[in-house]
Amino acid sequence: MLSVFLMVVGITIITVSILVNQVTKNTFSKNNPGLDAVVGAKGSPLQLILSSIHHIDIPTGNISYQNAKKIIKHPAIKSATPISLGDNFQNFRIVGTNKNFLKLYKANLISGTAWSEPMQAVIGYNVSKITKLKINKFFVGSHGLIDTGDVHVEQPYKVVGVLKKTGTILDNLILTSLDSVWNLHSDTNKNKLEITSLLLKYKNKTSSFSFPRLINKGTNMQAASPSFEISKLLKLTGNAHRIVDYFSLLIIILSFLGILITLLNNINERKYDLAVLRTLGFSRWKLFSIILSEGMIISILGSTIGIICGYIIYESMYYFSIVGRSIEFGELNFLNDLFLIWIIVNIIAFITCLVPCIKVYKQNIRSTLLNS
Amino acid sequence: MFICEDVSFDIDGQKLFSNINFNLKPQKDLLITGPSGIGKTTLLSILCGIQKPTTGKITYNSIDLYNLPENKIDEFRGKNLGVVFQNFNLINTFTVKQNLEIAVSAINTRKSIPLFNLLDKVGLANKSHIKVANLSIGEKQRLAVARAFVGDPKWVFCDEPTSSLDDKNAHIIANLIKEESLRCKASLVLITHDSRIQSLIKFSKIIRLGEQL
Repeated sequence: MLSVFLMVVGITIITVSILVNQVTKNTFSKNNPGLDAVVGAKGSPLQLILSSIHHIDIPTGNISYQNAKKIIKHPAIKSATPISLGDNFQNFRIVGTNKNFLKLYKANLISGTAWSEPMQAVIGYNVSKITKLKINKFFVGSHGLIDTGDVHVEQPYKVVGVLKKTGTILDNLILTSLDSVWNLHSDTNKNKLEITSLLLKYKNKTSSFSFPRLINKGTNMQAASPSFEISKLLKLTGNAHRIVDYFSLLIIILSFLGILITLLNNINERKYDLAVLRTLGFSRWKLFSIILSEGMIISILGSTIGIICGYIIYESMYYFSIVGRSIEFGELNFLNDLFLIWIIVNIIAFITCLVPCIKVYKQNIRSTLLNS
Repeated sequence: MFICEDVSFDIDGQKLFSNINFNLKPQKDLLITGPSGIGKTTLLSILCGIQKPTTGKITYNSIDLYNLPENKIDEFRGKNLGVVFQNFNLINTFTVKQNLEIAVSAINTRKSIPLFNLLDKVGLANKSHIKVANLSIGEKQRLAVARAFVGDPKWVFCDEPTSSLDDKNAHIIANLIKEESLRCKASLVLITHDSRIQSLIKFSKIIRLGEQL
């Protein structure tokens, strides 16, 4: 039982680690539709990327829409998409933007149309599934990026479109026009309008050196590179994953030792019985296979339960966390990795089991029976 | 035909016995007797493929036993031989019935074996769910006999089946062995130093081991 338990714990940890690792990489790569830079208020560049592209963190602040428009017209910029955050509906972020945002993510509608006037909204696939919002239904946004109950009752949104599943963060967003967000927050003075950030694509990749410098030094805004910030983050989390992986490896090695000790003890305790079985006509190979089966049952049971437990923990992390709701995990390609781990663990267990099996195979039945 | 040809056995370079020769026709009974320590049990182990002899040949119906691979020897023993060991060699943690069931699974037969009838014959039908560890010596002996006949063997080997029993139980066991051998049409090889056995079973051949040395 201890061997099975150790195997379950080790495999569970390694499964969760693999899934979280995959989720992190998958989410970060899928959520970025080829953006070269994000311009936003000064602060942590990573925070700006996480809040504007991946919709995890809170924004660094707001920037003037007038200044943003100057950037949009800059000759180095191929496309610029403004976004304005601030509200949510049942923890799904409401993003004020323009229709370029839909093009950016190559989004298609399952039903309805894109917004054409303020307070109309297009909802992501997961939003419609979880909140049960449908076309022509109304909902009210809640102030802030996490549901606090402080709602904008006076101005409800009307759902005019539902997006197809994209496997990106778009599935978890509610999109509306910038005007909607400005209306709700009583920003009517055109010179004082603000947005959260600007999502940029360069005409030429060489701008990735000169353009951020221009923004960072010449304005009160910052330009952050998504690929640079995310690779920094992955490097940091990668180290943590490695420590967890080493730890789970240690537990798995202990479980192999557990299987070995359990089988050797069993054989020592039952060597007389095994010799009796030989006298009754059980061949060496038959006993070899019986002992091997016992060990492999422990290993297969432990590794399978471990993978199932790991997957359940991962699913729970997704469904029971607020952060999880703002992350679209996308379609994960983890099955191959988990299957590979399962195979490797069971191959090692098989090799481990050979030690006691060979001992049984070589048993001298006459001397065992005489000594017993 | 069962043939034991020039069988010798050495322990640490010392001869325990040498040049044992005999043959046994089908359904005939052989008694191997001799004083304690002469190597009777070792000879039985050699005859039923548990201990390879130093020299010599054991042949069952033209099959040279020790010419077979070890796995085949085990299978041959399971399918063709029934062995009653001196110390029974029962699995003490198993019940009476389980000890017979494991013997059936060793034979790997599809034939249905009436275990209850067999237990009834040896008087253990009402103890089928009792663990072997809780049986008396006589009961263990009867169970060992029942197990030896589970697969209807062609040759049956019994090592001191009556030595530790009183007259009454020795009589029961001897009768049981004889009856079951007749039922299975098996040849019986009985090894003992118990002189009572000759009055209980009529053997067609007797070998006195000490005299052959």
